[in-house]
Amino acid sequence: MEEHRDDLASKTGMWLFLFTEMLLFGGLFIVYSVYRYINADAFHLAAHELSVPIGTINTIILLISSATIAMSITAIQKENKKLSLLLLTITVLLGLTFLVNKYFEWGHHIKEGIYPGSSALSLRGHGDVLFYGLYYFMTGLHALHIIIGLIFIGFIARMIIHDKITSDNHVLLENSGLYWHLVDLIWIFLFPLFYLIT
Amino acid sequence: MSVTAGMTEPSYLEFKGKYKGIFSWIFSTDHKRIALLYLFSILSLFAIGATLGLLMKFELIAPGKTIMDAKAYNAFFTLHGIIMIFAVVIPGLPAVFGNFMLPILIGAKDVAFPRLNLFSWYLYVAGVLLVVIAQFTGDQAPDTGWTFYAPYSFRTAGNMLPAVFGAFVLGFSSILTGLNFLVTIHRMRAPGMTWLKMPLFPWTLYATAWIQLLATPIVGITLLMIVAERLFNIGFFDPTLGGDPVLYQHLFWTYSHPAVYIMILPAMGAISEIIPTFARKIIFGYKFMVASSLLIAFVGYFVWGHHMFTANMSGQALYVFSLLTFLVAIPSAIKVFNWISTMYKASIDLQTPFFWAMAFILVFMIGGFSGLILGSLAADVHLHDTHFVVAHFHFIVFGGTGFSFFAAMHHWYPKITGKMYDTAWANTGLTVLFIGFITLYLPMFYMGVKGMPRRYFDYDEVFHASNIISSMGSWVLYAGLLITVINLFISLKRGKQAPANPWGGSTLEWTIPSPPPVENFEETPIITKGPYSYN
Amino acid sequence: MISMQSTPGIDASNFVSSFNLAFYFMVGIALLFMLGLTVLMLYFVYKYNRKKNSKAVQIEGSVRLEILWTVIPALLTLLMFYFGWSGWKPMTKAPDDAMVVTSTARMWNFSFEYENGKSSPELVVPVNTPVKINLVALDVIHSLFIPAFRIKSDMVPGRETMMWFLPQREGQYDLYCAEYCGLQHSYMTSVVKVVSQEEYLKWYTDTTAVTTATEGSAPGAEGLAILKNRGCNACHTSDGSKLVGPSYLDLRFGEKLIVLRDGKETEVTVDETYIINSIYDPNSEIVKGYPKGLMQSYKGVVPEDEITKIIEYLKSLNEEQ
Ligand code: HEA
Ligand code: HEA
Ligand code: CUA
Ligand SMILES: [Cu+2]
Repeated sequence: MEEHRDDLASKTGMWLFLFTEMLLFGGLFIVYSVYRYINADAFHLAAHELSVPIGTINTIILLISSATIAMSITAIQKENKKLSLLLLTITVLLGLTFLVNKYFEWGHHIKEGIYPGSSALSLRGHGDVLFYGLYYFMTGLHALHIIIGLIFIGFIARMIIHDKITSDNHVLLENSGLYWHLVDLIWIFLFPLFYLIT
Repeated sequence: MSVTAGMTEPSYLEFKGKYKGIFSWIFSTDHKRIALLYLFSILSLFAIGATLGLLMKFELIAPGKTIMDAKAYNAFFTLHGIIMIFAVVIPGLPAVFGNFMLPILIGAKDVAFPRLNLFSWYLYVAGVLLVVIAQFTGDQAPDTGWTFYAPYSFRTAGNMLPAVFGAFVLGFSSILTGLNFLVTIHRMRAPGMTWLKMPLFPWTLYATAWIQLLATPIVGITLLMIVAERLFNIGFFDPTLGGDPVLYQHLFWTYSHPAVYIMILPAMGAISEIIPTFARKIIFGYKFMVASSLLIAFVGYFVWGHHMFTANMSGQALYVFSLLTFLVAIPSAIKVFNWISTMYKASIDLQTPFFWAMAFILVFMIGGFSGLILGSLAADVHLHDTHFVVAHFHFIVFGGTGFSFFAAMHHWYPKITGKMYDTAWANTGLTVLFIGFITLYLPMFYMGVKGMPRRYFDYDEVFHASNIISSMGSWVLYAGLLITVINLFISLKRGKQAPANPWGGSTLEWTIPSPPPVENFEETPIITKGPYSYN
Repeated sequence: MISMQSTPGIDASNFVSSFNLAFYFMVGIALLFMLGLTVLMLYFVYKYNRKKNSKAVQIEGSVRLEILWTVIPALLTLLMFYFGWSGWKPMTKAPDDAMVVTSTARMWNFSFEYENGKSSPELVVPVNTPVKINLVALDVIHSLFIPAFRIKSDMVPGRETMMWFLPQREGQYDLYCAEYCGLQHSYMTSVVKVVSQEEYLKWYTDTTAVTTATEGSAPGAEGLAILKNRGCNACHTSDGSKLVGPSYLDLRFGEKLIVLRDGKETEVTVDETYIINSIYDPNSEIVKGYPKGLMQSYKGVVPEDEITKIIEYLKSLNEEQ
């Protein structure tokens, strides 16, 4: 069957999908606010233990990567395949750096014995248990999204190499960009919730 | 509109594509073939779920142990509930008849994303497999009920992980179907089909799709939290770690109440197609039917609290929830009145689908009014978690969605299979089924008022008599269903060739051959009239 | 079975009449509408059958009718809401002079503690005195349901909740757990005894009630009575069969038993310390093959002297053979 192309449909679909993703995290934000309301003090103190510098660096990394993927779309529109690929590679590298940072951050806490179900954490009271529970769950889910995003971008890059994505047919690249912006956006919410509001 | 004479194009059933045999089905991206994939998966699961129900009724025929112990009973109603809700009635009408008819009813060749459509079915199968695996692995089958209430759901020895994760995957399948339909309806309507020239079944699918998209992620994340809770002891809903079990209930019902409208809206849509077709008459109050669908979907978001009237929320929230629960009944009332008014001064051809539609209206009213009773605070405090609730939702879920499913099945059977079925047997099946249905579920209202709690393996002698009647009803129901289903199966072979328009319908699906050709329409139809234009 | 009979005039509790008002009002309206609409539908189907009426009259609709059947149901539902609300409102606040009982729920029994420290597996209350019950759940959510009184309230672990009622008629009524709580959910039942003031006072001041219900004078009889009263037998048997937890019969004093401690298999000797630990900190050592997390600590519930009697009983089990 000859499939006809409808870029607008494709983009609408992507937007709707992003909408559901936002609601997915939305549920978690509700849980977060309820528990923050109940355990205001503990959340306040626990937030101090997260490293604001690492969080800030990661925020900047994601913001830049959002910019590079947007530029990559412009590049393909201008038929500059090489530049587009280069920018995608940078995006992927930035994403990986984010993950490495995350790895060290988590590792640091885990070394201190602070992880869900650990005895050190359960000694510290309900507020801390919930704060770190949410911290690991939400940043973990976010990291999973980053990983999926990286794989997605990888496929897109391959398609560009094979000329499946070109200047007049780049809706998939745009969609991967949209997805990446979403991942970025969610982090913009996570960052203040866990690191900054104290 | 183009009426295709003769069968120049091969029908979707005969079409030879790249793949052969079974692969020509499970790799097909044709919305009609995918619809049939869903149909068979759903019917098989329905048979399993229904058999579990039948066995539960055997157990309940007398107090004490009859054929199974408490452990098995608890596992049975859990699996019964999960299968029936997540794998049968939520996907039911949208995934089967929505998939098959939506593109045809709006004059399109397929849905917007055919491959995504197939992927949704794979997700569906994966979700079901996970639920099934949960039964046979681990120490003990899941035993929480379909609601997975915390903290029991992470205390139990039952094998919850795959079951809960399975429900999560089924949710994603549902989201993707909704997304697909939304884009399809927005982008692919035939030229001339303005929003208000669209038939009512697509309209209800449209409203449903929004619920699928906006509500399902919430339950998705909630179920994921239960998974995390069991794996890592995070404490989200565990009171010993500071979590709040009532918050879980809020999150669960924020989805699961709107979900009941996912189940009923397409069911209402199918009835709204059937009644005008057999009445040979334009539907009464088309615009009000459209508006009420959207209203149900919208108000349905704000009433979830009525499942938690006894859970000790703050007092104020409670009566707001109660009030809104009553309000959401009004658009349903509008629909019932419009259906019946459509029959006024009509020219009614009494065929099987119309009988099913009438049966639907009857049981839907009983189910709906019992819902109103549950929405009343003073009444619900007594009736909550009793068999009155069980009766309510079987009337409205099985009686509403289930009956509509069978109505749609008899309505579109000739179009889908290209065969006619035996009307006499079909009507007999319905009659037996209807009698069994009433005998099975009506006594449950009585038991509930008398105070028999639900999810009770054993019960007091006072409830014995009504339980006997109810259990016997389940056998009659079983017989009726068997007649109905067997008749449809036999007619696949023996049935007469179906004409393009056996019922004299006026919507687009009746303008193309039965069964439809692969591309549905030889040339894209141009729409000039509303959907139910007779004369 | 007295529970649901409406014997002369008096309702079992003060909430019966408001329930009846809300309920029967709605049932009445429902029957009226259902009957009316069904008759109308059947009439149309008969009158406008194609055999009689071969041509339909096309009617697009009527705004006036639509408004009519929006407004009428809306008004009726507002009334329904009102009756439901006004019947429920009084449930939320107990009178100040209510007597207070604390009900504790665990898998799978209720216990009722009175202000003088008396504890009972049944709820005994004097007639015509408002009773306020503080609801405590120790493990999962339960729900205290007294059908004859038309009331129910969930018992949520970690939350303080309450319910109240005014018993108006003497008698014995069923009491159920209405929130699914696991294997023995349907056996988590008890009774409410509404008795005269004098009878109640006699019962209330008799603090020996719990342990004197002995089963003869066999060795360990007292221990058995305690096990029954505390609801232990919901999960453990004396005959070696497996319910939720291990059977008492499998406890051979002085012999080794394999348990899981912190997830690792370890051997322990069955002795008094082991029994006490199993009652006070049940999840620290789980007998191999049984799930963790189902039993809650009974520390502060079962005193040590009761445990001594329980141990006496447990020892007697294997001596018999
Ligand atoms: C298809 C699914 C479906 C649908 C459509 C409905 C529809 C409704 N439901 Fe139901 N419900 C369930 C499925 C559904 N329900 C399930 C599965 C549960 C149990 C979950 C569990 O705990 O396991 C449940 C439980 C449930 C409860 C919780 C009970 C409890 O646990 O204590 C309540 C309480 O308010 C309720 C209310 C309603 C109401 C008011 C409607 C209304 O929308 C009904 C509206 C319809 C009508 C009113 C009839 C038609 C109208 C007329 C004929 C005109 C005349 C009308 C008037 C005069 C008003 N439902
Ligand atoms: C679509 C929804 C649906 C349907 C159709 C049914 C159908 C039935 N249910 Fe269902 N039920 C639920 C949804 C549904 N149920 C839910 C959500 C719960 C709550 C679970 C919980 O508490 O968590 C529940 C709970 C529930 C209970 C309450 C358990 C308790 O609280 O103690 C009982 C008890 O009697 C029961 C019985 C039945 C019976 C006898 C049927 C029968 O009507 C079944 C009828 C069918 C047959 C008897 C025969 C089947 C036909 C065939 C085998 C033919 C072959 C078919 C093919 C080849 C395709 N159900
Ligand atoms: Cu306790 Cu059910
Ligand atoms: Cu609901």
